[in-house]
Amino acid sequence: MKVTVAEVSKNRVELTIEVPEEKFEESLEKAYRIVVKKINVPGFRKGKAPRIVVENMYGREIFMEEALQDAIPKAYEQALEEVKDKYTAVSSPEYEMVQIDKKKPFVFKATFDTKPEVKLGQYKGLEVEKIATEVKDEDIDAEIEKMRQRYAKLIVIEDEEACEGDFLTIDFVGKIAGEPFEGGTGENYSLELGSHTFIPGFEEQLLGVKVGETKDVVVTFPDEYQVEELAEKEAVFTVTVKEVKRKELAPLDDEFAKDVSEFATLQELRQDIANKLKKTAENKAEYELRKAVTKKAAENAEVEIPESMIENRLNQMINDVAFRLNQQGIPFEKYLELTNNKIDDLREMYRPEAEALVKADIVLEKIAQEEDIQATAEEVDEEIKKLAEKYQQETDKIHEVLEKQGQIPSIEFGIMLDKTVDFIIEQANLK
Amino acid sequence: MRSPHEVLIKPLVTEKTTDLMQENKYIFKVHPKANKIEIKNAVEVIFDVNVIEVRTMNMPGKLKRQGRSVGYTSNWKKAIITLEPGQRLPIFEE
Repeated sequence: MKVTVAEVSKNRVELTIEVPEEKFEESLEKAYRIVVKKINVPGFRKGKAPRIVVENMYGREIFMEEALQDAIPKAYEQALEEVKDKYTAVSSPEYEMVQIDKKKPFVFKATFDTKPEVKLGQYKGLEVEKIATEVKDEDIDAEIEKMRQRYAKLIVIEDEEACEGDFLTIDFVGKIAGEPFEGGTGENYSLELGSHTFIPGFEEQLLGVKVGETKDVVVTFPDEYQVEELAEKEAVFTVTVKEVKRKELAPLDDEFAKDVSEFATLQELRQDIANKLKKTAENKAEYELRKAVTKKAAENAEVEIPESMIENRLNQMINDVAFRLNQQGIPFEKYLELTNNKIDDLREMYRPEAEALVKADIVLEKIAQEEDIQATAEEVDEEIKKLAEKYQQETDKIHEVLEKQGQIPSIEFGIMLDKTVDFIIEQANLK
Repeated sequence: MRSPHEVLIKPLVTEKTTDLMQENKYIFKVHPKANKIEIKNAVEVIFDVNVIEVRTMNMPGKLKRQGRSVGYTSNWKKAIITLEPGQRLPIFEE
């Protein structure tokens, strides 16, 4: 196979690939076997006609589509292998046929975008701010308060007046000008005072009622009430209070700790919360730090990113969004309709992010190359093990599947990027 | 005397005949009145080969219907021609 390289423009390369006649013949033979099953030749059963007969009848062109489909990707891959030291393709190639004559080598051109040249800037000793990971006492208190609210008991109150936050069970009959109206009555309705589920003014007037009391509540429906006929009307609700319940927060003591957690004392519970908060904060700080150094390193480097790389990334991102929406049960088209966005708007919106991501990847990869950072076999195994745990499958099985799908290199790539970020952080100046 | 091209009408290309080519036998549709000697000469003149044997048979036309009219396709003659080993007819070559 002969390959000639020509640079069309910056980051774009045209390969002229010559496939020897015998090689192409193999592809034609394969194509014949596929095509012959579909065509009719008088005198032969389907799929039984010899190749020469088919060729005489339909011409060689009938095999071309299949043959090219077989020959081109193979030849293209081989050609890429040959020029891989200098160029790496980042876009799918555009093909142009040059010569597909009989008894002559098959020649075609493939044009594609190449991975751009990266001019690295400073990436060692980057100055990054450290993010505080301390846990303040207030945070722990807030967390415990949340737990108290969650585990609060509802106590039935007999004699006291209802106040804000209490839960009332009420029957009510609403009348406008003495006439009952639709939706104006209810029985055993549970209402939290201060939750603003009812018309403004309703809940406030119930403050101070007691169990068994009956009270007339006079309210005016607001201007923009959902039911138009009712808007701005004055209504009288006769409310009978059947029950008053109050949230009772448990006292903060060891007993409480025992109830809500596996810890015996409040002290231990506090400690546990503190640890958890700290962990979250650390994770977040780590994430932010990685993001920050990557961004800095990328900003310092100079790259001219081919359009197609950004486009690819954009497509990927949009697909991700669509997939996530779909999982939430919203078809992508519907979402676009709802948000009144066109897919182009969305692309425009994600574009800067896509560009930054692509740049970061390219730059990190270059740094990895420069610093000779690679993923080791053990690290890959480790990663696969993690995946296996995540999907609750056997490690070997996952390995096999990934290998079949050709996912191993992308795992390696991911590990390599991670390690590169680690490296940059190691070298960075943390403030 | 019929000219060679009048004698040989067309080669028959079917699954069966392509298999027979392995045995150096070629099948032609020939003029219904042609005899074996005529056929042998015609093949030798047109293709410049040596014919060892010619076997012929008369093929009756098939009954065909078109609506309520009934008729037959023409009767024809089929010839199996065996060539000297090593020789071949350029039926499939362009």
